Amino acid sequence: MNLRHSAPFSRPAWRLWPGLAIAGALLVLAMAGLGALVWEASLPGLSELWRSRYLRTVITFTVWQAFLSVVLSLLVAIPVARVLARQPVFPGRIVLLRLMELSLVLPSIVAVSGLVSVYGRQGWLTGFANNWLGASWNLYGINGIVLAHVFFNAPLAARILLQAIESAPASQLRVAAQLGLGRWWYWRAVEWPAVKPVMPGLAALVFTLCFTSFAIVMTLGGGPAATTIEVAIYQSLRFEFDAGQAALLAMVQLVICGFLWWLAARHGLTASLLPDRRVASHRNKAGSSLWARLGDGAVLGVFVQFLAAPLMAILLRGLPGMGSAFFPKGSFSVNPALLDATLRSLAIALPAGLMSVSAALLILACGTTASRPAMTRLTDVAAYLPLMVPPLVLGTGLFLLFRPSLGNSCEGLILVTLINAMMALPFVLQMLRGPMGSLDSASRHQADQLGVLGWYRWRWLHWPRMRRPLALAMAYGTGLSLGDFGVIALFGSPGQPTLPVLLYQQLGSYRIDAAAATGLWLVLLLLMLFSLFSRLGSPLFNAGLASKSSRTVPEPEHA
Amino acid sequence: MLEVKNLVFAYPDQEAPWNFQFSVVPGQCIAIHGASGSGKSTLMNLLAGFLEPQSGDILWQGQSLRHRAPWQRPMTSVFQEHNLFEHLSVEANIGLGIHPGLKLTPEGQQAIEHGLQSVGLAGFGKRLPGDLSGGQRQRVALLRTILRQQPVMLLDEPLTGLDSDTRDLLRQLLLEQKALGSLIVLASHDEEDRRILADSVCSL
Repeated sequence: MNLRHSAPFSRPAWRLWPGLAIAGALLVLAMAGLGALVWEASLPGLSELWRSRYLRTVITFTVWQAFLSVVLSLLVAIPVARVLARQPVFPGRIVLLRLMELSLVLPSIVAVSGLVSVYGRQGWLTGFANNWLGASWNLYGINGIVLAHVFFNAPLAARILLQAIESAPASQLRVAAQLGLGRWWYWRAVEWPAVKPVMPGLAALVFTLCFTSFAIVMTLGGGPAATTIEVAIYQSLRFEFDAGQAALLAMVQLVICGFLWWLAARHGLTASLLPDRRVASHRNKAGSSLWARLGDGAVLGVFVQFLAAPLMAILLRGLPGMGSAFFPKGSFSVNPALLDATLRSLAIALPAGLMSVSAALLILACGTTASRPAMTRLTDVAAYLPLMVPPLVLGTGLFLLFRPSLGNSCEGLILVTLINAMMALPFVLQMLRGPMGSLDSASRHQADQLGVLGWYRWRWLHWPRMRRPLALAMAYGTGLSLGDFGVIALFGSPGQPTLPVLLYQQLGSYRIDAAAATGLWLVLLLLMLFSLFSRLGSPLFNAGLASKSSRTVPEPEHA
Repeated sequence: MLEVKNLVFAYPDQEAPWNFQFSVVPGQCIAIHGASGSGKSTLMNLLAGFLEPQSGDILWQGQSLRHRAPWQRPMTSVFQEHNLFEHLSVEANIGLGIHPGLKLTPEGQQAIEHGLQSVGLAGFGKRLPGDLSGGQRQRVALLRTILRQQPVMLLDEPLTGLDSDTRDLLRQLLLEQKALGSLIVLASHDEEDRRILADSVCSL
């Protein structure tokens, strides 16, 4: 019997308790952070919310800009997703899909600099609009905030909707193709039923991302009339030293986002909210005629222009300054400021990525092992909590909590790493959830009977399936932290900047060329990280005893 | 002896529960016979420990298996399909039957090589299951079952859909196992399988 070969870590407790401890710790940390803020500060009365004009304006503006951003993002995303589903083969499709995924981790401070180049006062398109169309356009204020939010979220939403459309049952696609359904009926019969289940979660995700947006509002906000809750919290803490007001605003954010996710969960949140790496394709009559293809081409052309123009601006503006950014004034030694900022960014981002991936794995293992619904709910709540509790509030609360012992900048950076890891957790979890559950019941039964449990099950059954998603999740977790300009703005020391902070400082002191070069370097670093992790995720040697010439592990779902 | 005593099970939407009862001694084969949906696969899953019965017991050599996990039971299964891990090579699939962490001794590796030779798959060890035909996959699954050396073999339609040569080969292997003392519980639609392999028949 296989009992004589009992597998290491095969007791259910090994899968249950570490994840449960992490989920519990997340809850405790969030509550402690919020609690410390409330405890330390004199919390203003709730009536302040409707008595203070400033608070009223901030809350109303936050909700309004997030609402507009969701509506516009979906209005852009739906036609783009439909066109991409209708046109499964065209040159550059895969590059476009990868570009759309990248928007999730593209540092917002860098993207904003690209958007300013295109839509700012001196921007390419602004000049065209003002001179030729006679329009007066101002990027700063709600225009810029919503534009930037659509720039970030429409590609992500389109990618997720495309995935939903492509996962429509093959039988339906065959019937629709055979009947030769036109565009409207194809939408009603095939596409809408496929995207409908994804919509509540997707809308909640985009709303939350826009609602809690920080760097975009900081840079494009332009005054008290265009301030969101997250920025107001930052201002309360950094400039007004009013922890009570920050705590009150944080609770408003928690209540609104929490209510939204509760609503979304009630309507089913089973659909994956992160892009699948598989590229499926099917054809239907609606996309086959010449006129249809021309129309689709036009939609895609405008979308690509919208997506690529700011990225091109980052490249074109940054490239000339790269040489002098690295080697200032003809020096042969690397610019220490850029080098230090790069190393500091990596020193925060890599551990943050590793922590978020490890925590996600343990939470998922716990979620699949837990027999009691309360335990499963705890892991779910803990997983989404970082989307609702503002990182600034969390950080400040924890800072206050550990204040006696949290003194130097190194400890501040540890706090930043921890909070960045927490912030990446919901996204990393979504990425790993599918592959982690991809072991079918027949394989589970086989493994159970063979005694392939614990470490052995991870090594032989999960690892080959998880290697790529893990590498991708690590890339996303690291990338999100690398581009962070929220927590670091509060806790980082100006003398010890990370790359996004250095970029912000350069923008603030009108060193535009240097800022463009730093922005481009940040994007290149991100691409290098993705490439590195993608290489690490590819099978260097085949699992088991399979020959190298044999087929590799099939790409798992939701990878 | 394997004894199935008043083993009761029903799925949530099932009106009349199944009640299984039979016994077999080592070295013999019992064929489970019945129409589709009569509970053959359910019985196999209950015996293997993949399903929890509502009442009754399964005894092996007088000891209850009711509360034992699948890996703690003296059983090994072959299903009609999905027996192999698709991402692992043939050798690894068989090797997991010898050691669940694939820590194979030279003897273990030799056993795999000899086994593959005996089922006509010499040189197939490095291939993935996706590169094999249905008959070849079943031969690999049966070889793993044999090398696991468990006293009870649970076979759920293992020969269905195979060509006649492969069926003959696998029947021969099963007869050899029986002769060596294995107890076989065989769920099969096929009358010829039952005639050649079974010593008794349990109709559901």
